[in-house]
Amino acid sequence: MERMNISRRAFLVGATGLAVAGSLALPAFADTLEEIKKRNKILIAVDLGSPPFGMTDGNMQPIGSDVESARLFAAELGVPLEIVQVTSPNRIPFLLTGKADMVMASFSVTDERKKVIDFSDPYGVIQIVVAGPKSVSVKDIKDLVGKRLGTTRGSSNDKEATTQAQGAEMVRFDDDATLITALVSGQVNLMASSPQVMQAVNARRPNDPLEVKLVLKTNPYAVGLRKGDDALREAVNKVIASNLKNGKLNEIYTRYNGTSLPEEMLK
Amino acid sequence: MTYQFDFAALLPYWREFAMGVWLTLQLSFVATVLGFVLGTLCAIGRSDGAPWVKALVACYVEVIRNTPLLVQIFIIYFGIATLGLHVDANVAAVLALVVNVGAYTSEIVRAGLESIHKSQLEAAECLGLSRPQTYWHVIVRPAIERVYPALTSQYVLLMLASSITSQISAEELTAVANRIQSDTFRSFETYIVVGVLYLALSFVVRIAFWLFGLVVFVRRRKLGTAL
Repeated sequence: MERMNISRRAFLVGATGLAVAGSLALPAFADTLEEIKKRNKILIAVDLGSPPFGMTDGNMQPIGSDVESARLFAAELGVPLEIVQVTSPNRIPFLLTGKADMVMASFSVTDERKKVIDFSDPYGVIQIVVAGPKSVSVKDIKDLVGKRLGTTRGSSNDKEATTQAQGAEMVRFDDDATLITALVSGQVNLMASSPQVMQAVNARRPNDPLEVKLVLKTNPYAVGLRKGDDALREAVNKVIASNLKNGKLNEIYTRYNGTSLPEEMLK
Repeated sequence: MTYQFDFAALLPYWREFAMGVWLTLQLSFVATVLGFVLGTLCAIGRSDGAPWVKALVACYVEVIRNTPLLVQIFIIYFGIATLGLHVDANVAAVLALVVNVGAYTSEIVRAGLESIHKSQLEAAECLGLSRPQTYWHVIVRPAIERVYPALTSQYVLLMLASSITSQISAEELTAVANRIQSDTFRSFETYIVVGVLYLALSFVVRIAFWLFGLVVFVRRRKLGTAL
């Protein structure tokens, strides 16, 4: 009991110390935009393990839609880019500890995350779509009735399709590879999946490309920023707005994802 | 090691589990009946057929017994579709299971046929039994009776192997389990429940075979045999 008290006190002291250190360190981040200009370099965190947003090519060079968008943003802000590699669970820690100025890693905007960090305006989307070959005609969700709709068992795609596509015959496989084989061989007419999976199929099978028939769900993602970094956020939002308008962001997105950004984002 | 078991989380899914058990039983039953017929015919063909029949059956048995069931299932399910024919996943599953278990049955029954002593055939001839009569009363029935325990365990294995057909979207017990555990994140509990259900199904299959044996094999019924 005594020991526990001591260790708890030690913990509290330590925690307070950390909090003090944190509050002392904060002013240094207060205006990251100034900081970036002063050091003449912007540190953008990108996840290089989540194709097609971030990955490495045959020469181990970073590519992907987030990588190219990061290059575009750095160029627009007029500073050289340094990519900081992150994985999806440590995107927020890297940002909060100052290892990166901002995060561009298919970072979906959620209310939980908004409590800890700020987001810019969205510059891309993660979608759940219904895709299939040209020969299958689907105009709206009612056209799915009686169609065999393949998906991966238990995935979020499965849940979304099962609730939305009433009347379709759901056919579930354990992984993307089997799902694709089923679609290509004609065992299912359509698949509920991501545009990225569809794009991967089309890259290997250009003769009869699959196309997006319906969008079941759209999750926007944005640049993650530290709370209170308003100057940087303003600057980033300006870059996003102008590059959505001139089509550059959409061009990058389309090249990697095989489908265009939603119309309403491009206005 | 502080895992809290929560089997109650699976209760709302009892209907799905039941559907899975039902489909597993259906797949196994149809595959057992058809596989037995196919296997027995093949065994007869191999021990007493024309040379080309023997060669054909030998090829079939060797190919099937030396390739994985999963590969056979994929070949049938995707192969047929590539030829432009749509078959339901359940039909493809039964087809693959029949083809698979037919080869194993054929070898088991062949062992039974070979165990029938030549003198039995001569005795049948002396009694003036016709060829079909000889086959039915003197060869096939006693042969199958001798290998009946081996056949039983082969068909229990078949029932368990039907879990593989979840790979081609047949919504049998294992497929149901995979879906439920990804819904509830209670994978430990889900697979324990499924394991117990398979165990129960195995007993059901054994008891069914035992009862069937009692009805068909008169001598067995009189001597009394263990499960």
